[in-house]
Amino acid sequence: MQAVISLKNIRIAQGDNFNLTIDTLDLQPGLIYALTGPNGSGKSTLLRIMALLTKPQAGTVELAGSELNNLALQRHRVTLVDQSPYLLKGTVADNLAYGLKLRGVGSKERISHIMSILSKVGLEGFEQRQAKELSGGEVQRVALARALVLNPELLLLDEPTANIDSKSLQAYESLIRGLTEYGMTIVFSTHDPSQATRLGEEVLSIENSRLFHSRTSGLVNIASLKRSKMYGS
Amino acid sequence: MGYLGDSLLTAFELILNFDRDIRMTAWVSLYTSSCAIVIAALLGVPIGLWLGLNRFRGRQLLLALLNTLMALPTVVVGLLLFGLLSRQGPLGPLGLLFTPLAMIIGQTVLATPIVANLVLAAVTGADQRIIDTALTLGASRLQAAIQLLREIRFGVMAAVIAGFGRVIAEVGVAMMLGGNIRNSTRTMTTAIALETSKGEFAFGLALGILLLSIALLVNLFLNVLQQR
Repeated sequence: MQAVISLKNIRIAQGDNFNLTIDTLDLQPGLIYALTGPNGSGKSTLLRIMALLTKPQAGTVELAGSELNNLALQRHRVTLVDQSPYLLKGTVADNLAYGLKLRGVGSKERISHIMSILSKVGLEGFEQRQAKELSGGEVQRVALARALVLNPELLLLDEPTANIDSKSLQAYESLIRGLTEYGMTIVFSTHDPSQATRLGEEVLSIENSRLFHSRTSGLVNIASLKRSKMYGS
Repeated sequence: MGYLGDSLLTAFELILNFDRDIRMTAWVSLYTSSCAIVIAALLGVPIGLWLGLNRFRGRQLLLALLNTLMALPTVVVGLLLFGLLSRQGPLGPLGLLFTPLAMIIGQTVLATPIVANLVLAAVTGADQRIIDTALTLGASRLQAAIQLLREIRFGVMAAVIAGFGRVIAEVGVAMMLGGNIRNSTRTMTTAIALETSKGEFAFGLALGILLLSIALLVNLFLNVLQQR
C-alpha cells in the first residue's frame, strides 16, 4: 500500500540544539504513530516537515508518492495541530469554516460539516462562541475540530494532551483512536511513554539524533481501511 | 473681552455660519489628504507586510531608508517634488504644479513610509503562529498573508489613521506644491499661515479649531483601535 508520506535521507539540524537523521520513514494509511523523544530532540520540527511547513536541510519528502511540487495544494492533505494552537479572530464557526472556504466548500455544506464535527469533539452549541473567550482545553478541542473538518489524510498532533486534564484525556484518546476508522493517518508527539504505547500503534522514537520505528500492537489490516468522509451520510 | 476673546468668538461664528471660505478650505484639506492616504495605504500596507514577512539581504538597509523617510521634513519633500514638477523639471510638461494632484502626490510620499513602518511593526508584533495556522489549514502564502492582515486589522487601521494625521496637519508640501490658491489648493494649514500673516487672526483661529477637532477625532479613534 502506498505510504501517506515518505521521508528519505532527511537531515534536520538546528544550530547546537539538535541534529536528526532519518534514513527512510514511510507512514502507512490508517495507523496511529506516536512520536517520542526528549525535549529539544526535534519532534516538533519533524512534525513541521511532515506538515510541509519547514524544509529539511537535506533529503526528500514525498506525499502519497508525489514529490512536493505544489505545496499550497499538497498541504490540503495534511494538517498540523500545534501544542498551543492559535485560533483565528472570530467565532468557533469562523475558525472551522476557514479551511473549508479555502477548499471551495459551499456555505450550506460548510455549516453541516461544522455542526457534525463540533458534536464529535463534544463542542455542540459552541459555533457562535468567540474564540478569545474559550478556555485552554476548549481551544485545543476547537483546533482539533478545525483540523478534522478538513478530513486530512495525515493528521499531525504536537503534544495534543499536554494541556488537557486527566478527566478529558480518556475522551480525547478515544476520539483520536476512532479517527482511524476514516482511514486517517495520525502522528502525535508525546512525552508520556505509556500514552505512546497505549494510543500509538507504531512508535517513532528519537534517540541519539536518530529515529527508531517500532510496532506496539498486533498487525493492522491496512488493506481493509478505506478513506471516507467523517461527516455527512 | 479683549483681542483673543473677540477673535475666538468670531472664529466660532465663522464655523457655525458655515462660512464659504472655511468650508472650501476644509474641503480641499480633507479631499487631498483622503486621496493621499488611500494611495499611501495601497502602497504602504503591502510594503510593510512584505518587509515584515520576508528576510533577505539588504532588508536592514530598506528598513533604515524607511525610517529616514518617515522623519523626512515636509518642506524637503515639497522641495524635491517641486524640482520634479516645476516647468523646467522632468515632469514639468504634465502641468501638475500648483494643482490638488501635486499636493496629493506630495502627501502620498509623506504618508507611505509612515503606513509601511507602522504596518511592519504590527506584522512583527503579531502572533508568529498566524501564518503557520493559515498554511496548515490549506492557505497559499498570499492567502496566509491576507489572513495575517485580517488578524492585525486594528494595527493596520491605526497605521492608516496615523498617516492621515500626518498629511492633514502638514504645511510644507501643501504650500510648495499647491501654491495656496484660493478655492483650489488652499488647505487649512496653508490658509492659517496666510490669513494670520494678513491680520485675519479670527479666520486663522476658526481653521485652527477645525483642524484641532479633526486631529482630536483621529487620535480618539486611534486610541480606541490601539486598545482593541
